[in-house]
Amino acid sequence: MGINPIEYRPWKGERTAQGLRRYVIARSVLRHKLKSIGVLVLLLLGILFVHATYLVLIVLIPHERLEASEIDAYLGGGAFTTFAMLLAAVVTSDLISEDVSSNSLVLYFSRALKVRDYLAGKAIGALLIMSLLCAIPPVFVATVAMATQSGGDYLYSLGVLGKTALVGALVTVFFVPFGLMISSFTRRKSYAAVGTFMSFFVLAVVAGVFMEYARSWSVISPIHSLSFLFSWVLEGDLPSYVDEAALVLFLASLIIVPAVVVYLKLTRTVVGK
Amino acid sequence: MAGELVAEQGTDTSTRPVNVLARDVAVSFGSVTALNGFTADIPRGIVGLLGPNGAGKSTFIKASLGLLVPDRGTISVGGMDSQAQSLQIRDIVGYMPESDCLIPSVNAVDLVSYMGMISGMTFRDAMQRSHEMLDFVGIGEERYRPINSYSTGMKQKVKLAQAIVHDPKLLLLDEPTSGMDPQGREEMLSLVKKMATSEKTIIVSSHILQEVERVCDYAVIIDSGKLIRSGAMKNLLAGEEGVRSLTIRGNLTSLSQYVRALEQECQIVEKRDEGGEQITVLIRGCDDGRRVFKLAVENGVQVRSFHPERLDLEEVFLRAFRGGGRDGH
Repeated sequence: MGINPIEYRPWKGERTAQGLRRYVIARSVLRHKLKSIGVLVLLLLGILFVHATYLVLIVLIPHERLEASEIDAYLGGGAFTTFAMLLAAVVTSDLISEDVSSNSLVLYFSRALKVRDYLAGKAIGALLIMSLLCAIPPVFVATVAMATQSGGDYLYSLGVLGKTALVGALVTVFFVPFGLMISSFTRRKSYAAVGTFMSFFVLAVVAGVFMEYARSWSVISPIHSLSFLFSWVLEGDLPSYVDEAALVLFLASLIIVPAVVVYLKLTRTVVGK
Repeated sequence: MAGELVAEQGTDTSTRPVNVLARDVAVSFGSVTALNGFTADIPRGIVGLLGPNGAGKSTFIKASLGLLVPDRGTISVGGMDSQAQSLQIRDIVGYMPESDCLIPSVNAVDLVSYMGMISGMTFRDAMQRSHEMLDFVGIGEERYRPINSYSTGMKQKVKLAQAIVHDPKLLLLDEPTSGMDPQGREEMLSLVKKMATSEKTIIVSSHILQEVERVCDYAVIIDSGKLIRSGAMKNLLAGEEGVRSLTIRGNLTSLSQYVRALEQECQIVEKRDEGGEQITVLIRGCDDGRRVFKLAVENGVQVRSFHPERLDLEEVFLRAFRGGGRDGH
């Protein structure tokens, strides 16, 4: 206790609003992830191979305006989605699994924090990291393309820029709920990371097998379905074999169902009933 | 009888403000009933929550925090309903769980300040306060090391620091000395006593009854989800009024004669043989001690002690489980 033990002193400060506490969690996730070598390496590789390459091309090759088809080709090639998938698997792997394995959920929920605030905090942190690869670089690339265009149709380019931002936001959001769900199923982050990536990979493999019989099965491959989504948002059309409702249903279900599952699982874990 | 509320708390709660009130609380997990009509008034001060494993202590703590929805009944913490105002309650509660619950990869300063911020402190306040609380619990420079390198005692101290960082009014300590060495236990109990001076209600759930007896001024005993005994420690340990403990020593014949003679003068409530040549009897009705001593001289036995009955908490605990103990006491 030392020679001169310190007495207990009350705290006289003001508490922040309860709704703001999810941002404390988000900030902590962001800080932690930006110190992670794995995340930094993936971010660097993704930016280098997906975005920087296209940025160089677009600066060097003369263009009259920012074309939606160009952005579609840039983002829909598969590399972008694959890197996003990998990054999501690494970023979300320990977000819940570490709290489950260390039992620290009890520390969170003995405080004025709801399950949805806890999840929102974790998700916001993960989304901020994901946006560093999926949202900000495409918008930056599109902005540079617009700034270096030779023609004067800036209104069209601005529309494409907006669609690029929308696509970036969708990819940012798409993988995180699923990653959180897998992270809540295990106590080991390595299992969560592999589980998340393999789940999407298996879907892609299954889609590949069934595409032999009917091309419409390609919708269940995350890489293909996101590629279709990009075309739909950017160029307004879909391949004839893709059913719009099936595409929306598949993409929405991969966001909504995992979010609901992880919420219910955590509620059950916390309440123990 | 076990399972029945022994009314002793009413006198105490009138003089001390009540902080946690449970009324007919029932919680079940499938077919298992964890709390079954639990009713208790927990006053301000250091309160021991006692009971065997599976008695319902942790369930009561969770229900008080609003983490569990009771099947019936209500719990009020500081005048707030545990269900309707659970978040407000959790803002004034600090919880030190029994289980290992610290994030192993971070250091103590980061963990305690993080928990402070989640409790509503600004970064600056949380950082300053986390250092203060780590000083208070006796974690020195090792606060900058990852928690996975800490000893069990240090982890217990960090758990306490995170529970008090936001200056809660109600502190729930679940087995606070679990896994600690004797010196560590002394330090922990001393910290609990120090905190009690700041007008807090501190509920200590522990299996180590000597510790509870030393630090607590009120005790609540639970079994099978029901309150079986509660009251101020001094009342619980006081023993039954009018009952005195008498320890005598002598040969077996003398002792037998003395006990027979004593039975003529007063009621012998309980007799305990302590190794052949010494017995302790609990007697009622011999208020005049001179008669007891006179009989001892006449029968050739030594009186080794003669005083009003005093219990230790272990005896109180065992009697409560035996079903109210001797004559319902």
